[in-house]
Amino acid sequence: MRHKLIYLFCLFLIASAWKPLAAQELSAREIVAKADQKVRGETSQGSMKMTIIRPTWTREMSMKTWSKGTDYSLILVTGPARDKGTATLKRDKEIWNWQPSIDRVIKLPPSMMMQSWLGSDFTNDDLVRESSVVEDYAQRLLGSETIDGLPTYKIELIPNEDAPVVWGKVIVWIDKTDFIQLKTEFYDEDGYLVNTMLGKNIKVLGGKKLASRMEVIPAEEEGHKTVVEYLSMEFDQPISENFFSLQNLKRVK
Amino acid sequence: MRKLFFLSLLLVPAFLFGQDTEKEKNWQLSGYVKNLQTLLFFNDAYPDLQNFRLVDTFLQDNLIHNRLNFQWYPNEHFTFYAEARNRIFYGDLVKATPDYGRQIDDVNNDYFDLSAVLLDQNGWAIHTMLDRIYLEYVNGNWEVRLGRQRVNWGISTVWNPNDVFNAFSFTDFDYEERPGSDALRVRYYTGFASSVEIVTKAFDHWDEATIAGLWRFNKWQYDFQLLGGYTEGFLTLGGGWAGNISTAGFKGEFNYFRGLQDGLQDAFAATIGLDYSFANSTYVNLGLLYNDQGSTTAPIGGLFSFELSARNLYPYRWAIFTQVSKPITPLLNSGLALIYSPVPVHPLFINPSLTYSIKENWDLDLVGQLVFNRNERYTSPIQAAFMRLKFSF
Repeated sequence: MRHKLIYLFCLFLIASAWKPLAAQELSAREIVAKADQKVRGETSQGSMKMTIIRPTWTREMSMKTWSKGTDYSLILVTGPARDKGTATLKRDKEIWNWQPSIDRVIKLPPSMMMQSWLGSDFTNDDLVRESSVVEDYAQRLLGSETIDGLPTYKIELIPNEDAPVVWGKVIVWIDKTDFIQLKTEFYDEDGYLVNTMLGKNIKVLGGKKLASRMEVIPAEEEGHKTVVEYLSMEFDQPISENFFSLQNLKRVK
Repeated sequence: MRKLFFLSLLLVPAFLFGQDTEKEKNWQLSGYVKNLQTLLFFNDAYPDLQNFRLVDTFLQDNLIHNRLNFQWYPNEHFTFYAEARNRIFYGDLVKATPDYGRQIDDVNNDYFDLSAVLLDQNGWAIHTMLDRIYLEYVNGNWEVRLGRQRVNWGISTVWNPNDVFNAFSFTDFDYEERPGSDALRVRYYTGFASSVEIVTKAFDHWDEATIAGLWRFNKWQYDFQLLGGYTEGFLTLGGGWAGNISTAGFKGEFNYFRGLQDGLQDAFAATIGLDYSFANSTYVNLGLLYNDQGSTTAPIGGLFSFELSARNLYPYRWAIFTQVSKPITPLLNSGLALIYSPVPVHPLFINPSLTYSIKENWDLDLVGQLVFNRNERYTSPIQAAFMRLKFSF
């Protein structure tokens, strides 16, 4: 189940791909394209905390992450104690899991990508498919709305016919000044709202103004929520491809 | 000499520690405490030594188990690892077994004696052991480890014929870390998933030596490994792989042992497996083992007393493994593993389990180990049930 973290992280990569540059005259597609290009071509590293909230229980997990584009990522679990030290490496389609207690790297079957993590509020394809928000969707500017007192662009994303996307429709609200993704609604193919993702606690992380807290709220489940808080982030620090190796998987701290 | 080696392991890091003035914490201490309660049911299978016959009986045993993992990294090149396993046993089996403490004491040591029986009387035994104590040196692509360490060469899921440095009891699910080897391991990483390494265990006589090399590489999105060497009187050659067929995991291992002296039988073992995870988190794992040292005629009891080695991974010639696990709720996971061997006694090993996450660091497990065989009818001579509560810190 902890292998799922990597997909969770992929979701946030995709999510953060929707942070377009300031460009008043750009079309919806161009805004998304610039944002996508910007995030995919660069590196990031940081630490975050994820909390799964259910009516009768909560679970918290903390981790450090490193990524380069969408092909390379490394995630180290730093808490809770029972999982601390396990780490996951992803290179393109290959995934390995490091289990320090047995001193062994285990190669994971790709079908494990399909699971959700601890019943968190992420459906398979959000996390698995590294779909391109530019190539796999048709974008349309729906207008302007105000979210949390901030003026936003409201953009509709409809997946292309053969796109590897599970959603029927995605609507995203992007802040007009700093291009922060403040709200996203994910609809299934029958047009029903499945999840709402909210970007909150805007602050400067790694030189970028970001929503430091993401909340995913399933539409149909009362009292369910998954919260991710970025504790620290750094962008565009050079990370070599060699960093994403089995050797380093065991060494990162 | 053994004590000297042990001392030097302790002193080297102490020297390094003296050099260090960094403020950032350069050590970690973690571990767990767990309580394992065992119920053993014997159905005409417990040896009554006074009357020389097998009887029905029921035994209850307890094990309080503490593990401490210490890591200290004074600089970027050196890391010192020490891990201790402290166990308190009490119950019927402890009472019924004379010298219980002494019997468990020597099982998991390698060359050096790094364990002690602290108490062994009145149905109580206290045992302490260092199953890891080693120094690791890393420089660029080089990695050198000296001391008691786990050399884990397994690549497939269920059975590991390539795991030539380890032997452990098949039914001992409570020791996932497994014993360590007193060894020197030199490894060079040649790529992101490739490396070459040579490992030698400490030994006095050639018939207890293991010296082997392993080459790992990645090709066509598969991990491959090839190994060769000398292990306790045998020349060994083997290999394994881990990759995917479509989105299912596809893994396997094989190993051949050639006896170099009279009386040492050649051995061959091979295993192949597939695992798949469904979108609803149901996980299925299938495996097949061929073990030419395995018996086709052995009785059933061997499953619980069987001492595993890379040369002999299962008491029977063939074994088919099936495992299914499924979360009942996000916090409660259920699992069922079956191992069947197509030999005359038709041994069937059934291993149901339930694991529950009580809190972040509190886990509760219920595990069953049931053994069936075919006599006149399909019977279960030995059944074991375990309840384990674990707190990690």
